[in-house]
Amino acid sequence: MNVPVSWLAELVEELPDAARLSDLLPGLGLGVEAVHELPAAPAGVVVARIVEAEPIVGSDHLTMTVVDDGTTRRTVVCGAPNAQVGVVSALALPGAVLPSTGEPGTEMTVQRREVLGVLSDGMLCSPRELGVYDYAGGLITFADDLPLGTELSAAWPAETVLELELTPNRADAFGMLGVARDLAAKLNVPLRHPAERDAPGDEEADDGLTVEIEDAAGCPHLVLQRIDGLTIGPSPVWLQRRLAALGLRPRNNVVDVTNYVTYELGQPSHAYDRRVLEGGVLQVRRARPGEGAELLDGERYELDPADLVIATRAQGGHGSKAVGLAGVMGGLHDSVRADTSSVALEVAHFDPVSVRKTAKRHGLHTDAHLRFERGVDPALPPRAAAHCARLIAEVGGGTVHPATSRAGGSGPRAAIAFRPSRVEFLMAFDVPVALQRRYLEALGCTVHETGREEGPDAWTVQPPSWRFDLKIEEDLIEEVARLHGYEHIGATRPDLAFAPPRTDPTHRALRDELAAAGLQETIAYVFTGDDELARARAPEARVRLSNPQGVERSRLRTALHPGLLAAAATNRHEAGLALFEIGRAFLEHEEERLGVVLSGAWERGGWREGSEVDLWRLKGLLETLAERRRVGMAFRPALPDEAPMLHPGAAAIVVWDGREIGVAGRVHPEVADAYELPETYLAEVALPLAAQRLTVGEVPRQPYAERDLAIVAGDDVPYAQLERTVVDAAGELLVEAFPFDVYRGAPLPDDQRSVAVRMRWRHPARALRDEEVDARLNDVIAAVRSAGYGIRG
Amino acid sequence: MHDEARAEIEAATDLRALQEVRVRWLGKKGRITAELKGLGRLPPEERREAGQRINVVKQAIQEALEARKDQLERAELARRLAAERVDVTLPGSHGPVGGLHLLTKVTNHLLDVFRGLGYEVVTGPELETDHYNFGALNFPPEHPARDEQDTFWAEDGRLLRTHTSPMQVRYMETHRPPFKVVVPGKVFRNEAVDATHEAQFHQLEALVVGERITMADLRGAIQEMADALFGEGTRTRLQPSFFPFVEPGAEFAIWWTHPKTGKEEWLELGGCGMVHPAVFEAAGYEGVTGFAFGFGIERLAMVPYGVPDIRWFYQSDLRVLRQFRGAL
Repeated sequence: MNVPVSWLAELVEELPDAARLSDLLPGLGLGVEAVHELPAAPAGVVVARIVEAEPIVGSDHLTMTVVDDGTTRRTVVCGAPNAQVGVVSALALPGAVLPSTGEPGTEMTVQRREVLGVLSDGMLCSPRELGVYDYAGGLITFADDLPLGTELSAAWPAETVLELELTPNRADAFGMLGVARDLAAKLNVPLRHPAERDAPGDEEADDGLTVEIEDAAGCPHLVLQRIDGLTIGPSPVWLQRRLAALGLRPRNNVVDVTNYVTYELGQPSHAYDRRVLEGGVLQVRRARPGEGAELLDGERYELDPADLVIATRAQGGHGSKAVGLAGVMGGLHDSVRADTSSVALEVAHFDPVSVRKTAKRHGLHTDAHLRFERGVDPALPPRAAAHCARLIAEVGGGTVHPATSRAGGSGPRAAIAFRPSRVEFLMAFDVPVALQRRYLEALGCTVHETGREEGPDAWTVQPPSWRFDLKIEEDLIEEVARLHGYEHIGATRPDLAFAPPRTDPTHRALRDELAAAGLQETIAYVFTGDDELARARAPEARVRLSNPQGVERSRLRTALHPGLLAAAATNRHEAGLALFEIGRAFLEHEEERLGVVLSGAWERGGWREGSEVDLWRLKGLLETLAERRRVGMAFRPALPDEAPMLHPGAAAIVVWDGREIGVAGRVHPEVADAYELPETYLAEVALPLAAQRLTVGEVPRQPYAERDLAIVAGDDVPYAQLERTVVDAAGELLVEAFPFDVYRGAPLPDDQRSVAVRMRWRHPARALRDEEVDARLNDVIAAVRSAGYGIRG
Repeated sequence: MHDEARAEIEAATDLRALQEVRVRWLGKKGRITAELKGLGRLPPEERREAGQRINVVKQAIQEALEARKDQLERAELARRLAAERVDVTLPGSHGPVGGLHLLTKVTNHLLDVFRGLGYEVVTGPELETDHYNFGALNFPPEHPARDEQDTFWAEDGRLLRTHTSPMQVRYMETHRPPFKVVVPGKVFRNEAVDATHEAQFHQLEALVVGERITMADLRGAIQEMADALFGEGTRTRLQPSFFPFVEPGAEFAIWWTHPKTGKEEWLELGGCGMVHPAVFEAAGYEGVTGFAFGFGIERLAMVPYGVPDIRWFYQSDLRVLRQFRGAL
C-alpha cells in the first residue's frame, strides 16, 4: 500500500513530516517498507492544447501539430497516436530537460529541430518522458482544469510516498482512511473523513435500476448509484497525480475515481455503462455450469459454479448473463466507454472467502480482490457510493441521481467484554483508564461501562464495522498497547517452577564426535526427484509434493545417501572425503538418521605414506561410536536386495546393541559410476543411537592368559561365525576373542583362508594355571574341528 | 697411576671396550686385584705402604674409568641425537579435519543461551498436517494469513511445516505448564529462491507458559538472548505486528553494528507475541498466559559471518564448508 504524504495530510491535522511518519507508523504496526521521493514534473513544461494536426507526408506515424500554450502557437512534430485536435497535453519547450528513462545520465534536453522538413518547436510528452508515471503509449492528457500555459511543475509538484507493508489482519489500512485513523488516534488529533458530507440517496425513489441478489451470503450488501450526464475524458491533474503516486495509471475520469476511492476509503467499486445493464438489472449470483465471461484483462474465463458473478439480464429480457467476477474483476464490455454518459456505480461488500477462492481459482490478483479477501467495511457501501458518485459527477461533469438502489445491509459487530485491568495484566505496564477509553474511541469503538454489579473493570466494547480483526479482549489489549506504544514494555524474567530435562534431541554429542573424528557436516535439501532416488538406488518416494519447485525437487528424500553422494560428486576434486549429515528421511514415517560417506585419502600422504579409506575405516568409525555408548556393534552381511545401493560383496546391515538400524558398506560400482565417484563407502543408520547407562565396575586385578589359534575355513565363512564357534566353546572365563591375522595363499587352497584368533581368559579371583587354560583351548579346538574347520600350524 | 692403564683407558673408544679395560685391571682377575692379593706375601712392615700405593693407583684408575665412561656416554648420546634429527619444517600428518556446519554452530550457540536460561530443547516433525501448522495455531481456513506462508503441499494433504510453531501445539498436548521450551529445526517456504531466500531454512522457536507470563517477560527473554549474542546492554525493539497464533503480536529487532558496513542499525529478527487464547483453547489449557517467539537462523549465520548467499548453506561445497570450521 502506497501512501502519498500530501494526501495523508488532508486527512490528519498537524501531520508530522515523512521522517517522523516512518518512525510512527511501524510503531503502530503499519510497517514502512520504503520511502519514495517522486520528482515534480520537469521545469519548462507547460500545459498546451493541440489545435491543428496533420499527418506528415513521408512518415507513417508522425503528425505535424500546432499547439496553443495560451500565449503562442507553435508547430510541434509528434509521433503519439493520440496527437489529435482538442487534446490538452504537456508541451516541453526548447531547453527543457526531461528525465527520459529516469536512469541517471539519460536526461535529454528538448531542442528546436527540423523533422522531415518541419521545424518542431518543442516536444509533446508521454507520462514516461515526463517521469510522472510509467506509460509511454501516448501523450499525457489533461482535463480543462488547468489553464493553457500553466507550468506543469507547479501543478504536479514532488511527492513523498510511504510504501507500507501491511499484515493481513489490517484490512482497514488498505485505504488512506484507515492509515489516517490510526495516526489521528496516536497523535490525538482530529481525523477528517473524506466522505463526511456525503449522504446516501433516496432508496424509496425510482432510478430505473434493480438489484437482484441471489446469493446474500456471497454479497451481503450492495448499493447501485446512477450518475447521468457524464463526459468521459481525462481526469483533472490532482486526481492523476494521486493515482500516479499510488503507482496506478490514470485511464479516464470515471475509472480513475473508482480507483481513487478504492485507495482512499479502502472500498472497491465498479462503474457500469448503464446501457450494459439490460432493463437496469444488476444481479449477483453464482456462475451457472458451463458459463464463461470475458474480463477486463481481455481474457475469457471459464467460470466455476462456486464463482460469485455480477450478471445482468440477457438481451430480450430472458435469462441472465455474467458480466464480471464479483469483487475480483469487471467484464470487458461492461465498463465505461468514450461515449458513455450514464453509469451505474456498484459499491458492495463481498464475502472474503468467496472472493479469495475465486481469485485463486483463476490466478487473478487485483486491487479489489486484495481488499475484499481481507475484508471491506460491510457498512460502508451507502456512504462510499455517495462519495464516489459525487466525485465522478464532479470530474465528469454529470449529476448524481437522487435515488439509490440498495440490497442487503450489515449488522453491528459482536461486542467484546473488556477489562481495562487486563492491559496491565498482560503487558505489565499501566495505561490510565481514561486514556484506554480515548484510544478505543479514537479507533471507532463504542465503549460502555457494563454495569454497577460488575464494577468499573467491566466494559462492553463495540468494535467498528471496519475492524474485522477485533474479536476478543486480547485484540483490544493490543489496540490500547500499540497506541500507547510498545516501547513501554519492560524486560523481566518470569519466575517459573520448571526444571528442564537434559536431553539431546539435536544429537549434538554425536555431531561433535563425528566432527572430531574428521568428518565434515553437510546439510542437503529434503527435496529430491524420482530420477535422483533411482540413480542412488534409494527407496521409491513416499511423499510427493503437489506444488514443487521443479520435477527434481518434487519428492521428499527417502534416504540421506543420495544427498551425500551428490555432495561427494560436488567435491570430486578433493583427494579424500569424509562427510556426514544428520537429517530426516520420509518413508512410511519420518525418520531421523545419520548418513556418512567416506572416500579417497584418509591420512594425507604427501611426503610420507598416507592411507586410503576402506570398509574397515567406516566400520571402525561406527565401532568407536558404539564403544563410547557402551553397546555392541556388528555388521551382518546384507542379503541380496537389502542394500541395493551397496556393492553386493561389501554390504552390511548395521546391528547396534542387537537391533538392525541401517546399512553400511561400499557403494555399488554402478551407483558410484552414476555419480562419477571413485571407490566410496557409506553408512546410513537410524537415530537416536542406543546407549547403555554408565555403571563403573571393579577393575580386574588378575592377569589374563592368552592362547592363539589359526582356523582354516572357506573364504565364504564369515569371521563372525568363526568367532561364535570359538566363544561358545571357550567357557565363561573367556574375556575376549579377536582376529589378529587373516591369511590367504599357499599352502592353502584358493577358496580357503586362515584366521588367527587370539583368546584371553581371566579368573576374577586368581591366576589361571596353564593346564586350565590348555583345557579350554582344547575345547575350542574340538569345537572348531567338529564345525568342519581346520586348524593350522 | 699406571701409564699402561691410562693408555688402555684412553684407547677405549666405546663402552664395551672400556668395560674390558675395567675387567682387565679391576676385575676379579685383574692386575690391580692381583697386586692387592699379593700384599700378603710382603713383609708386614712394607704391606701398609704398598697397600696404600696400590689403592691410590686403583682409585686413579677408577676415576679415569669413570671420566672416560662419562665422556663416551656423552659422545654416544650426541651421536644418537644427531642420527635422530628430523626436519621439523616438513608438514605434519593427520586424518581429515572435520567440522560442524555453520548453521549447526549458530544453533548450538543459541541452544546454549536458552539452556542457560532454563529452557528445554525439543524437536518435531518436518512433514506436518494442516491442523498443527495452521488450524491449531488459529489460522482459519481460507485466511489470507496463510498466503504469507507459501506452503509446500504433499499430494496426500500433508505439508512441509512453514514454521517451527507446530511444536507449540505438539508440546502443549503432552505437557502441563509451567514450562519453557525452545524448538530448533528446518522449515520450508515455497518462494522464489535467491541469495537471501531459500525454500528450506531453519528457525528457532521459543514458548513459555505459566500462570502469569507477561509481554515484559517476552521482552526480557529477547533481551537476554540479545545480551548473550551481541553483548550486555544490547538494545531491543518490539513493534506491533500480526501472527494469528499470538495476540498481542510483535516483530522484534536488535540494535547492532553491521560487521561489514560498520553501520549501526536495527537487525529485524523475527516475530513474537503473547500466545493467542485460541491456541490455548485448542490445547485444553485454562487460566494461563504465555509468550512465543521465533526467528530464522540463517540470518543470524549470514549477516554476522558475512555469508553472501543463503544457498551456500545447502550446496555441500567443501570450499565453503571448510571455512565454517573452528570456533565461532
